[in-house]
Amino acid sequence: MPEPIIQVKHLTKVYRVPERAPGLGASVRSLLKPHYSDIPAVTDISFTVEPGEIVGLIGPNGAGKTTTLKMLSGLLYPTSGDAQVAGYTPWQRQPDYLRRISMVMGNRSALNWDIPPLDSFRVLSQIYRVPPDQYRQILDELIATLDMDALLKKPVRNLSLGERMKCELVAGLLYQPDILFLDEPTLGLDVAMQRRLRTFLKTFNQQHTVTVILTSHYMADVTALCPRVMLIHHGSLIYDGALQTLAARLAPFKLVRLQFSAPVENFDDFVAQWPAVEQLPMENGLRILRVPRADVPQVTARLLESLPVADLAVEDPPIEAVIDQIYAEGVL
Amino acid sequence: MRYLKLIGAFFKISSQAELAYRVNFFIRLLHSGLNLLTGVLSLVVIFNQVEVIKGWDMPAALALLGVYLLLGALRGLFIGPSLESVAGMDGEIWTGTYDFTLLRPVDQQFLISVRHWRIFALVDLAMALGLLIYALVTLGTQLTIGMLLSFTLTLLAGVILLYAALLAFSALVFWNPSFLFTWVINDLFQLARYPVGLYPGWLRLVLTWVIPVGLMTTIPAQALVGTLSPLMLLLTLAFTLAAFLGATWLFRQGLKRYTSASS
Amino acid sequence: MNHRGGWALIQNTWQSWIQHRGFFFLLAFGWMLPLLVYLFIWSAAASDGAIAGLTQESLAGYYLILILTNQLTYATTNWTVGDNIRYGQISRWLLQPMSPIYHALSQEIAGKVVFMLFSVPITALLALIIRPQFNLSWGQALQFLPAIVLAWGLRFFWGYWLALLAFWVTRADSLLALQDSLIFLLGGHLAPFALLPPGMQTLARLLPFRYMSAFPVEVLTGQLGVQETLTGLAIQLGWTVLAIVLYRWVWTRGIRHYEAVGG
Repeated sequence: MPEPIIQVKHLTKVYRVPERAPGLGASVRSLLKPHYSDIPAVTDISFTVEPGEIVGLIGPNGAGKTTTLKMLSGLLYPTSGDAQVAGYTPWQRQPDYLRRISMVMGNRSALNWDIPPLDSFRVLSQIYRVPPDQYRQILDELIATLDMDALLKKPVRNLSLGERMKCELVAGLLYQPDILFLDEPTLGLDVAMQRRLRTFLKTFNQQHTVTVILTSHYMADVTALCPRVMLIHHGSLIYDGALQTLAARLAPFKLVRLQFSAPVENFDDFVAQWPAVEQLPMENGLRILRVPRADVPQVTARLLESLPVADLAVEDPPIEAVIDQIYAEGVL
Repeated sequence: MRYLKLIGAFFKISSQAELAYRVNFFIRLLHSGLNLLTGVLSLVVIFNQVEVIKGWDMPAALALLGVYLLLGALRGLFIGPSLESVAGMDGEIWTGTYDFTLLRPVDQQFLISVRHWRIFALVDLAMALGLLIYALVTLGTQLTIGMLLSFTLTLLAGVILLYAALLAFSALVFWNPSFLFTWVINDLFQLARYPVGLYPGWLRLVLTWVIPVGLMTTIPAQALVGTLSPLMLLLTLAFTLAAFLGATWLFRQGLKRYTSASS
Repeated sequence: MNHRGGWALIQNTWQSWIQHRGFFFLLAFGWMLPLLVYLFIWSAAASDGAIAGLTQESLAGYYLILILTNQLTYATTNWTVGDNIRYGQISRWLLQPMSPIYHALSQEIAGKVVFMLFSVPITALLALIIRPQFNLSWGQALQFLPAIVLAWGLRFFWGYWLALLAFWVTRADSLLALQDSLIFLLGGHLAPFALLPPGMQTLARLLPFRYMSAFPVEVLTGQLGVQETLTGLAIQLGWTVLAIVLYRWVWTRGIRHYEAVGG
């Protein structure tokens, strides 16, 4: 068992936000005697991550995902608690640490918009002291896998959002960091581009054993990339484990989809005999039932026996629906 | 050595971006020309009415104008653009992209001070040097090694003072992003166009020891004309050192604040 | 013409400007400084006795009034006209049932109010420190009124037609910088009209720039005789009419060009 690359112990961040009444008088007063209110963003979070893992950090807006990521990357001092990443304390921001990590944000650009990305990459390689031949090698690899030859010589401002995101990734990876923090990397991209980036990240992670922590609003990112998820809600870590286990725990239901070969008159009455079974709105002419896991065998047997069933399928509920439910209810 | 290389890379990349807009070069030329022309014409008009104002004659005032334009050119070459890109309107702190800068494994103060260059400001630099040389010739004084040395030292002090003032005011943006006080420095810097001795006593004191725009140009010009006392030279150098350290400290405090309070 | 829409726009603009008053106070402060510099320079020059009939105190009075009138006549909006054309803002205005000049006018009026909120108290404070001398009379004040209104109109429309050249060329705002430089040299900023060398006096008398800024102040401070005032007003009116004609002409042509090339 290798040493964990990220060790987080009781990490807590409380923002002190100055309270200011509008108006000149009030702002002068607040200059002399400021009033603050404490807003907890992250409360007592502990976890470890092994080298090469891809972990999804999920939770609703304002849950504390970005704050956690910022503390791990060294952009923020925690209020209390400790974190060791690759043997360093992130918020000391030692150059040797900064060279080993990378942060890519979907909503902010690290590139100079007036010049072609290739020039930005070269300056970055100098800032990160990448030896020239190594730089050329990794750049060739990244350009080939991301298929972005054509973009390199256009100014960044003329690139599309998806093209720009590819460039952001190259900028973040060209010095071969060991740890990659991805904050909403697929934000605003179309579905095809999202899929391409996911494939790329998966391959890159396997070939370079880079440890990835990813936040995303798109559950598809998480299901495709992250065997392990951490769910943050109101600043607390409320789940840490496999995504499938989370889904099963959250949704003790299965969906049964039905298609009939002849019209069924009293289907509603038929369903009413099980109080625990719920009928959902029809989709594409299919009837959908929400059935408690334990009741599934009995219910399907009765359906097949009594009704002219042409087709019957049993499924897990979509992960989005499950997550929405937690976000709304806030409990596991 | 590595830092010099980085400066080279930054200079190259900034120039590349700027050279893409050729029309800006001619615009820049026009502005630089206007700047020089109005500066010189102002002195012509003033010294057409009076021969000497409080000990300053036309050639001495020209030399001071040369120093003023030289400092302005250096500010426009890299100090201004670099600090503006962090703390100015639409700067990195304002837009949130400062996070990326903070993650670079290079000394922060160095990085934010030399990152952006405006190659066209070299035109101003050339014009300022030309004017300075012309002023020296018309001054007709015999320049000694000592005078040249103290001129170089005080000019350097002037640049550092200007940098320190801009850095300090940029650092204030960490406390409140709507403090655009670098503008105030830009405005006040115009006062350095003329010898600080021409201003009323209260203003002279403020411009020398509080907002030292007076020190930035008057002292180097005095060194050239030969009216700078050794005591004033020492005081200027000491003050410059203090200002630089003070501004650096303020910037570090700002950084600390940014990393403990940003959201 | 839709005057009600225009007035609503003015109120609206004013409210948003008041919210950003800190920003505009900074701008106002920046415009004040160059004039203050020359106030001090000429005061220093006149410390040994009046120059060309102007005493230290009357020079101070001249410049303090000029600080206020300069901000009243300075057309800030002209600087944004070019951007509005380039970035397509003007297309939106063209869709509104109101002439786009109302947008410029509303910003003008809103701006003046905000600038005065800052400048009047500051100038009053300066007057307490510097102790200027004013020779004001009701007659001069009466002549001042048409002069200041025409000065604003001339400066606004002259800058506006220059700015509208942005329909055809990028960076037409350089012409505005040129205009500012000429106002500085000939419009009584660098030196009151009476202190300019003869050649510059002739240019100042003929060209529009003095009438955009210094002329009303000369009238108010009693530097001009009745004959000079009347001639001045006539020349001022002539230039203003020409500026409006040029604005109409460039505007019509520009819109046609804009619609032809599709923005």
